[in-house]
Amino acid sequence: MSVLELPRIYFKGKVSWDPITTNNYNTNYDEDQGETIYPNASDKVKAFREQAINEVTSDGNWNPQGTHRVAFYETAVNGFDLDGAIQTKDPFVSAAVNFQGMLVDLEPFGAFTSQLFFDSMLFGVDGGYRIKLPRTMRFVDRYLNFSRNRVNAMIAGRASVVWQSSFAKSNGLSINAFDSKALQQLDRALQSNDILGLTVRFNSYRTIYYDDPSLTDVPPATRYATAAKAQQTVLNAGGFQPNPARGLVVGVIGLWRAHEPAQEPCDRTLIPAASALGSIWARAKGSKLVLDLSNSVPEVDQDLKKKDLGALEVGTVDPDGTNFTRLASFDYSQYDRQAYEASAGLVTLDIPKGTDLTKDLQVRNSSTQPQFQELALRAIPVEPNIYFNEGDQITASIQVYKRGEPLKAQAPVTLFEMDSSGGVIVNTTLTETDSSGVLLLPLPSAKGQVVAYVPSVNSSDQPTAQNGINPQTCTYQYIRVHPADQDIASLAPTWANVYEKVLANWNAMAPCMDNWLDLKDPGQIKAYAPIIKRLTDPANFEHYRYMPIVRDLSPGQRTLLYKFLDGPVVAESHQTSFADLSRSYRRPLRS
Amino acid sequence: MIRLQSTPLNTVKDAQTRLQLAIGVEFGTLPPYLYALYSIRPGTNAAARKNLLAIALQEMIHMCLDCNVLNAIGGNPVIQVQPYPGPLPGDIGPDHTPLSLHLLPFSPDAMQQGMNIEEPEDKPDFPVRETLALAAVPTAVTIGQFYRELDDFLKTLPSTAWTPNRNQISDDQFFAGQIFPIDSYDDAHKAITEIISEGEGTQSGTTHDPLDFQSEVAHFFRFGEIFHDRILTKSNDPQGYAFGPDKFGVDWNGACPAITDPGTHDFSHEPPSAQAAQKACNQAFTNLIDTLQRGVSGTAGALGEAVQAMFALRMAALHAFTVPLADPTKVAGPAFLYQPHPTGGAV
Repeated sequence: MSVLELPRIYFKGKVSWDPITTNNYNTNYDEDQGETIYPNASDKVKAFREQAINEVTSDGNWNPQGTHRVAFYETAVNGFDLDGAIQTKDPFVSAAVNFQGMLVDLEPFGAFTSQLFFDSMLFGVDGGYRIKLPRTMRFVDRYLNFSRNRVNAMIAGRASVVWQSSFAKSNGLSINAFDSKALQQLDRALQSNDILGLTVRFNSYRTIYYDDPSLTDVPPATRYATAAKAQQTVLNAGGFQPNPARGLVVGVIGLWRAHEPAQEPCDRTLIPAASALGSIWARAKGSKLVLDLSNSVPEVDQDLKKKDLGALEVGTVDPDGTNFTRLASFDYSQYDRQAYEASAGLVTLDIPKGTDLTKDLQVRNSSTQPQFQELALRAIPVEPNIYFNEGDQITASIQVYKRGEPLKAQAPVTLFEMDSSGGVIVNTTLTETDSSGVLLLPLPSAKGQVVAYVPSVNSSDQPTAQNGINPQTCTYQYIRVHPADQDIASLAPTWANVYEKVLANWNAMAPCMDNWLDLKDPGQIKAYAPIIKRLTDPANFEHYRYMPIVRDLSPGQRTLLYKFLDGPVVAESHQTSFADLSRSYRRPLRS
Repeated sequence: MIRLQSTPLNTVKDAQTRLQLAIGVEFGTLPPYLYALYSIRPGTNAAARKNLLAIALQEMIHMCLDCNVLNAIGGNPVIQVQPYPGPLPGDIGPDHTPLSLHLLPFSPDAMQQGMNIEEPEDKPDFPVRETLALAAVPTAVTIGQFYRELDDFLKTLPSTAWTPNRNQISDDQFFAGQIFPIDSYDDAHKAITEIISEGEGTQSGTTHDPLDFQSEVAHFFRFGEIFHDRILTKSNDPQGYAFGPDKFGVDWNGACPAITDPGTHDFSHEPPSAQAAQKACNQAFTNLIDTLQRGVSGTAGALGEAVQAMFALRMAALHAFTVPLADPTKVAGPAFLYQPHPTGGAV
């Protein structure tokens, strides 16, 4: 199933993360209403921007002038697997992997729902060896591993996470294989009726901030304080001053088969049975067992040395965890840094033919201590993150899987409703799937809010009152309901109302907008009306350039904005000249 | 085509002079490329726009890398503005007739000019085989050769000639993975290799690979794709590549009806709106030069100011391309004139 099937192609490289971080604070932003919270000042946007810069040193707001852009760089194909062995001799190896997206959290204050909105992904070059992947759906992250590298102790530098998106072959996907055997086989495999397209799964890890891998936020964090102060000084001096974080990626592109979740792993799932590990996904077929360790084994230093868990054994066990039957073993050389980077953490093992694979898988260390234990049942939302508007009637769909295959039977589900932080259980409901293993979940739409649901199908995948969602064991779905804002929709479409209720929010939170549009200038807003309408059109919600990037425009705000954009032209006297604009760019924000 | 004068390289000062020339060459290509890019009407020629933008951004990166190398060997980069029409700094042409660069709107001529600028020394014969007359003019070299000579000399410098961390621009804010500090010859060699390959592609024995070190299409061939309106495609013929058969998707009618070389145009008889648009462009360009100069001179945060100035120039240029001249069928893009204010600064 999935990228664990053959053929598959590996890539590795680097990634730049440049989100605006100012809306990560509930003192700056109301995530339920999608509104900026301003300081009390006559020029509230200016004061808000100054406050955001002040927070660089006072509150860890590391990137108030980000762009949300995410880009792969120095990322290329580095191998492939056609028959269970990694190969590197193919003209497609070394092909560049191009990706540029917008990093947006559905829940701005938390870390569980990052998404990458983008238009297309390209492996190789047009005219040459190439896989062209127009977007079918956004990338979503899951299985956030807070313990991936505790030495890289700076903000999210400790963590890693799994990203996944899938690309329908009916949606413009194309492969130019020429004489590349890797691409020829992938192209051939795509022709099967059961294959919907291709899935890209990648792991991001070792994120560094302020371009300095030596920084730590563990007190006293004096070097971090110095770097933050320097950044604050630069920000106060003016100009466009993003402060992107940088990380590493390893990934794999492979088959997307019918009935597989598109945006998160659904293969057989082995959750950690020991501390500081991340979940494994596995696929067993015939005499081969593939383990996806992309998110599983921590690094122990800044040089990315993998933790040595010793020789590991994979076997099957009875439901009570006893009666271990060994299937295969692998040693450190198969999951150390070199192996990890060569195959994106995928390890292929030979297992005896005829193995009974209906039992739970388990991975043990040489002391017979379980390290990873399979959860046979997993309840996975068809759509991991959903946005909709107050009053909309939306029903979510959650599919229960058994050992990576859709469960074709009724199953009891304990549904946990969580607050937006994922830390507080608000409500618990016992329910049941239909005979296809599908749970239909009508979503609440009475007000603007962010809510999480955790569908549990066994005792090990439940959130706890103490820790909330455990992303290594829980599956979950987040929803963001935009308030209707009918009161805003009914306002007169004056410039004052439009700026106050709509544009000032963007202007305060996203100084990068200054680079192409002065949001406080009604003349420019009018001049760009067709473009603004196109970029804010709900039909373009998934597009890379959708506005606002953080996707918090309510229907009422859109109505007011469009009434203004469609209204009479604003008097010329209101228009700021380019000379004024140029002048403004040269002034520090504080002046 | 561009053929730069090959002067002797015997001292660090010689290398500094050549690097300053390289900075001028890289920066000098930007106005023609940007003029063509910004003259494309919104909603048209997405692929061409992408190619031209990629080329322009790489030229900026090349200039920053040149500045880093020059700073590392003790020089002080100067961002110099040149007039258009006019030759690139140091261009003597293959037959002692330098190529005069023009500010041309998006057109076959503009793409041909780009190809002439980026032409490799072993120009491959897809689609048309041509013979170069390099041997007759030994002191005139392509941009690639110009850099290779520089690289050969830098290799001979002692380690003491390099000053680590002197006014270096890194990729910590922009151009991830593409700009890096130069602390030694190894860094400089890497920078020069990348600059050459991004412009011309790479050479492997007698085969010319149109892809650069990152397996992306090099500048000369990106211009060629637009010029021929064909995607450069891997093929089975001996050259390995051909333009087409798939179309690139060029719509020459998608260009604004812009005049050529607005720097030589007399705007005193044009409508006030056109004059204002020119003034705004020149102010934005001047601001870009000033902030860029501070950026390559080691001022913290100045590169961020320069990037914002670049955005301002883009906005001013896009506006200028929409303002009719007295002949209402014509518009004018930015002239790229440096016009500092008498009291200092751009405005």
